[in-house]
Amino acid sequence: MSQPELSEEDLLQRVGRRDTRAFDQLYDALAPRLYGLLRQMLHDEREAEEVLQDGFVQLWERASGYDATRSKAYTWAVMIFRNKAIDRMRMLGRRNRLVESAALEQVTLSAQAPAADDEAQANERGAVVRKALTDLPKEQRQLIEFAFLKGLTHHVIADSLGIPLGTVKTNIRRGLLRLRDLLKGGD
Amino acid sequence: MDERHEELAALNALGMLEGDEKRVLNGASVADRDLRALTAQLEETVSELGHLVAPVEPPADMKRRIRSKIRSSGGPKWRSLSPSALLGGAGWAVAAGLALSSVWLWQEREKLSQQVAAVSKAMASVTPVTPSAEMQEPPNLENELKKLRDDFEAKKAALTTELDSLRKRETEAAARIAQLVAEAEAQKQREAGMKVEIVTLQSKVWEYRRSEMTVVWDGGKRQGVLLLDKMPRVDAGKDYQLWVVDPQKPDPVSAGVITVDDKGMAKTSFKPVDSVGESVKFALSVEKKGGVPKNEGPIVLVGP
Repeated sequence: MSQPELSEEDLLQRVGRRDTRAFDQLYDALAPRLYGLLRQMLHDEREAEEVLQDGFVQLWERASGYDATRSKAYTWAVMIFRNKAIDRMRMLGRRNRLVESAALEQVTLSAQAPAADDEAQANERGAVVRKALTDLPKEQRQLIEFAFLKGLTHHVIADSLGIPLGTVKTNIRRGLLRLRDLLKGGD
Repeated sequence: MDERHEELAALNALGMLEGDEKRVLNGASVADRDLRALTAQLEETVSELGHLVAPVEPPADMKRRIRSKIRSSGGPKWRSLSPSALLGGAGWAVAAGLALSSVWLWQEREKLSQQVAAVSKAMASVTPVTPSAEMQEPPNLENELKKLRDDFEAKKAALTTELDSLRKRETEAAARIAQLVAEAEAQKQREAGMKVEIVTLQSKVWEYRRSEMTVVWDGGKRQGVLLLDKMPRVDAGKDYQLWVVDPQKPDPVSAGVITVDDKGMAKTSFKPVDSVGESVKFALSVEKKGGVPKNEGPIVLVGP
């Protein structure tokens, strides 16, 4: 009799109870997506590997505090790994470095073609997110993509791109709220 | 929840907040359930962006590296297999299999123990038995032990410092308490020696019916303060004189001439010219200017 497949939330809760087999399964499920994200953020394979390793150690240590009623396992993990990547960028002095405005144009998260070997479910969700993101006004979409991948503070983005700080914050706020509604299936 | 808090929640979801702004959001979230919910929703929204990034397979040895790091870290320990996972995952069949395997393993272990004992006995006469490199404790366990020992020493040092500090504070507090007790005792003794009473004098003389005379008398020190109000002006060549009446003395003892101002008021401290007892009475008379050693003139106020 085959065992029913456990959700990522179930696996993470089991990891919280020090279940090493669940940890292996969760690693298999999350690591490729997280590693892809870290490579995109850090633009350095070695750095991405180190953050991936540190991130999973932290996931193991903190899993007992995970509350499935508050967030999805994937969300919980992304927050850990993104914060780790941002810390690494800060340590390397990259987060506060002045970036060229042209860099904004290079960040085209929404325009990335889905990988051929993506799992069907990930592809499906990716398509929904991509559609929602492209529905945002350009100035909101670009700032969100920029902030998501570059891990810059709003102050640095405003300085680097020559945009008033208030405008940066307002566009990010409006953009994320709109994106949330679109992903929930709203208009 | 206002736009400012929405803004902070959005920036937080993207990992953009630092320092004070992060503290403001955390503080506001404590009392605002809607803000907490929004923060969680926006974190989920941001994490969804990760679906747009193409997955990349990590290096093949990554899982092993992570396990190794977990073992050597000071956090919750890695166990090779958890009983709950075994039993919860495969149910009774696995449990039964485990029981049978245990019996078999126990028998094998007994055999091995006997063999090892025999071999050890044989080798003991030739070479001292030392563990081979493979049998020694794995390095990661040594690291763990060292880390635990270091942590223990650090905590012990911190506690010792804290204990010393507490002892020092306790000594200081005890000294301060002793000082306060001594001060309180001294004050108590001073108060015991201070037998202060307030006496109001009255007059049966018509001109002095509205006059007020109050004496604050310290019986311990045999001295006092006199307050006079609404006193008529004395005739030229006359003065008011205060007397202390001690029942043990044949005559009142002079406490000095009292000068009243134009408004009929006077305030002065006084001390009798001769020794008197603790319990005394007071009298005010009109005497020759400059006062007299023994009362001659009319008593205008007396009390108590």
